[in-house]
Amino acid sequence: MDSSRPRRRLWHVEGARTLRSVRGATIIAAFAVGIGLLIMLFGEPYQVRLAVAAYINLILVLGLQIFMGNANVANLAHPGFMGLGAYLTSIFAVPLVIKKTLIPNAPFGLGEVQLGIVSSFVAAVSITGIIAALTGLFLVRLSGIAATILTLAILVIIHGVFVHWVDLFRGTQAFYGIPKVAGIETMMVATALVILVARLFKDSRIGVQLRASATNMLAAESMGVNIRALRLIAWVLGGVVCGIAGALYAYYLGTVNARAFYFHAAFLTLAMHILGGMRSVTGAVVGVVLISVAMELIRHLESGPVILGAQLPDLFGLGSLMLGVIIVLVMCLRSDGLMGGLELDEVLDRYWKRWRRGG
Amino acid sequence: MQYVAEQALNALSIGAEYSLLALGLAIVFSVMGLVNFAHGEFLGVGGYIMYAMALFGAGDIWMILPVCLLTVVITAVLLERVAFRPVRRAPATTGLLTAFGVAIILQNVFLMGVSPRPKAVPAIAVLNTTVDIGSFTFTILQFLEAGVTAIAIVLLVIFMRRTKLGLAMRAAAHDFTTVRLMGVRANRVIATAFAISGFLAGLAAIFFIARRGAIDPFMGLLPVLKAFVACVLGGFGSLPGAVVGGLVLGILEVVLIILLPDFLAGLRDAAVFFIIGAILVGRPQGILGKKAELGDKTA
Repeated sequence: MDSSRPRRRLWHVEGARTLRSVRGATIIAAFAVGIGLLIMLFGEPYQVRLAVAAYINLILVLGLQIFMGNANVANLAHPGFMGLGAYLTSIFAVPLVIKKTLIPNAPFGLGEVQLGIVSSFVAAVSITGIIAALTGLFLVRLSGIAATILTLAILVIIHGVFVHWVDLFRGTQAFYGIPKVAGIETMMVATALVILVARLFKDSRIGVQLRASATNMLAAESMGVNIRALRLIAWVLGGVVCGIAGALYAYYLGTVNARAFYFHAAFLTLAMHILGGMRSVTGAVVGVVLISVAMELIRHLESGPVILGAQLPDLFGLGSLMLGVIIVLVMCLRSDGLMGGLELDEVLDRYWKRWRRGG
Repeated sequence: MQYVAEQALNALSIGAEYSLLALGLAIVFSVMGLVNFAHGEFLGVGGYIMYAMALFGAGDIWMILPVCLLTVVITAVLLERVAFRPVRRAPATTGLLTAFGVAIILQNVFLMGVSPRPKAVPAIAVLNTTVDIGSFTFTILQFLEAGVTAIAIVLLVIFMRRTKLGLAMRAAAHDFTTVRLMGVRANRVIATAFAISGFLAGLAAIFFIARRGAIDPFMGLLPVLKAFVACVLGGFGSLPGAVVGGLVLGILEVVLIILLPDFLAGLRDAAVFFIIGAILVGRPQGILGKKAELGDKTA
């Protein structure tokens, strides 16, 4: 069989590439999870809480990276999908007794339904994926700034529905009574898996074609790349990951409020994403770690700490000011983000080679 | 009839405010491809300078207004020099995040320098005096908004069409490299774009604050988002498009306030954005934007 040989060779190449991505993802995940392990072992309880928040943000940023980093379209809708994941999980998982007081007039007979922890998660994330697919059908018709505005519209509409559909989402009041089953361990496992998914997607055929189309749309299209279909896949996958972030958020906090899924979350995660470098998965990790740590340090400074025996005054607002300064400085000095499109394993390989040549 | 006339003028004046802001965004974007998210903070700069002047006893309206305009223009030019020049060649998202960082810095300078709480600015409340024309009641402000915006647009058109710098700016929107090959300084073109955008934002600041009567550190966020939406709606980078987009947005908001029944009032923003989304899906290039085929030289 003559024709099977090249195919087998192709398989070989693809297999080697997949292995490389898995290896890369493992290194990145080890970095991300390692920080959490250290905090778990040596940190105070409040530091563990901060770490959990950072992990949820990281999953959200990775969801952002899957679409925005590969397709190069600035996205603002991701907190909306996170909110969908969180609210839907809550609606399925809250015990019936509590649900009767929370949403007595729930539509679709949802007031009588209670699912298990895992099935609630799966149902919520699937519905989020379906909604992402429906919005994606419109989104992929647009590109550039117009697409960004449409993502903004999607965010505002989802938020409007949360706040206005009181029978299902309780409007501006918080949704509570969700079983708190997720701890920092769950977050670490989920983060590692999502890093693997994001990296595999980036290095997959789809990811490569999508990144090519982001660099030069004309060239990619003339090579027969179906940009719309690829963008739709990335959009849905990204939406699903954001939904996962939301579901974990609900299972960790036990309470959900629509305010958490609006502009503030959108801009904060967007800043993390671009600061780290949006073309790389490692960039997402670096951006989240950097901004989370910086925000916490700065928050500490704001409340007037005692440094070297000197009582500093309360400086409310200084924190955010410094955050702005960091963003502007990093963007001026490294305009492609801190990682500049490189992954951690690529950076390590580079140093390793240099070290061997030098030694 | 009276109600319709009043609401029509209301829609026109709100639309004019959005148009002023959207024009500023569009001028900067068309020349250097920067989405200036800090544009909304120019409103804050204008507002806080008015507040400061009133505080230190310089409360005369004929002093306040020119100083406000001048300060905003200087701020805009200064920001270009300090923050936006280093990211001029960077990808669009970098510029966006830089502008976002600048916005955060300005907001917190207001917050630390003055107060996190809203402050009243009564100095220009004069503009809210009502006038009766026949059986209709309007405020001076509404006429000023519509009138001054119209004059500003006419002046801008004259500047863009009759002066060499205006010609350079229009050309830069198409091909900056060629403009520089013709011996025009890039820095001068971009600084002018920022100065104009600052001037228009200064006008918008006066109207915006006269309408609200108060300032707070985060007042710029919502207007800049709406101006951004107006820009894209009209066709991003197109100056007539920005004006049309701003007017459409203003009219849309007022019409929805009137038409939506009370129990749906909470969905107003969602409805506005739904319509905008629908327009964009139908016309991705915006209302006045030209459809660019893949590979056409744009921006």
